[in-house]
Amino acid sequence: MPAAAAGRSSALRVCAWCVIAVLGEIGLYASYRGHDARFHWFTHFFVGASLALVVMALVAARIRRPVPLPLVWPLLGHVVAMFPDFLFAADIAHQRWMDVFLGHISTHFVPGRNLTWYLVFLACLGAYLAVLDRLGPQGR
Amino acid sequence: MGAAVGLGLLLALARAGEGPLDDPDQAWQRPGFLDAGDLPATAPTMAPGVPARRRPTVVFFLRPGDSLAELCHALAASRLPAQAATAVVVAGSTPDRCAAVGALVADPNGAVAEAYGLRRPGGGGPPVGYAVVDAAGAIRYRTLDPEVADQLDEVGTIVAALS
Repeated sequence: MPAAAAGRSSALRVCAWCVIAVLGEIGLYASYRGHDARFHWFTHFFVGASLALVVMALVAARIRRPVPLPLVWPLLGHVVAMFPDFLFAADIAHQRWMDVFLGHISTHFVPGRNLTWYLVFLACLGAYLAVLDRLGPQGR
Repeated sequence: MGAAVGLGLLLALARAGEGPLDDPDQAWQRPGFLDAGDLPATAPTMAPGVPARRRPTVVFFLRPGDSLAELCHALAASRLPAQAATAVVVAGSTPDRCAAVGALVADPNGAVAEAYGLRRPGGGGPPVGYAVVDAAGAIRYRTLDPEVADQLDEVGTIVAALS
């Protein structure tokens, strides 16, 4: 396969995963009931995606190249963080031990609430981008 | 980076989209677990046999108007009456009738809502939400919930967690 065609194929594959990740996030949002569920979606997204970005930065630094399917990692982090909400939909109320899912209970109560988690998310995103930048052109 | 900025805008939009009946601190709205904050707390008696003894009680707090009819209709079709006794506290004058509810209580000056520790909505005024009292008479859960009539399954999940 010529290099240009291979590049297009790779870009299409990445785009397909982007679409899957975005659709996945829309699906997670739709899984909540009630307009106030936005608050919960944001908390668990920021927490899960932040941890995913930290792991992505460590992996990228280790393997000396960007991680594959970069939008899927935050989606997986989000799924882990909101897992007790799937249990709730199955008639199992939250319990304190469910903090094992990336602080599912207690992360809602940090000072600053979701604004704090947004800033944490931005810092983790910045860290990941800094790692890619240090890898040079291959990382961008 | 565009996505990060977009998320920030969505976060601001979500905050702006909160209604006047919502809790100004969303962390306390529908937290989904028992004994949040300073709970459990003793549930004050608001009428003879309310809250019930030896059986959980769900106490709904409403404002006068259509919301009571909507809640009554939803309760009649839900599993909740089989799980717990129910009472509705209506801010204002004597509430209308509702066959699906065990007790109807008027709360003209908001004393009952205050005694149950319901938080103030962001827009002020009486709270719309509910409290769950266990069979021993302790408040184990309370939240503002302007859409409670549409989410009685969720109330049932909380009641089921008592056992």
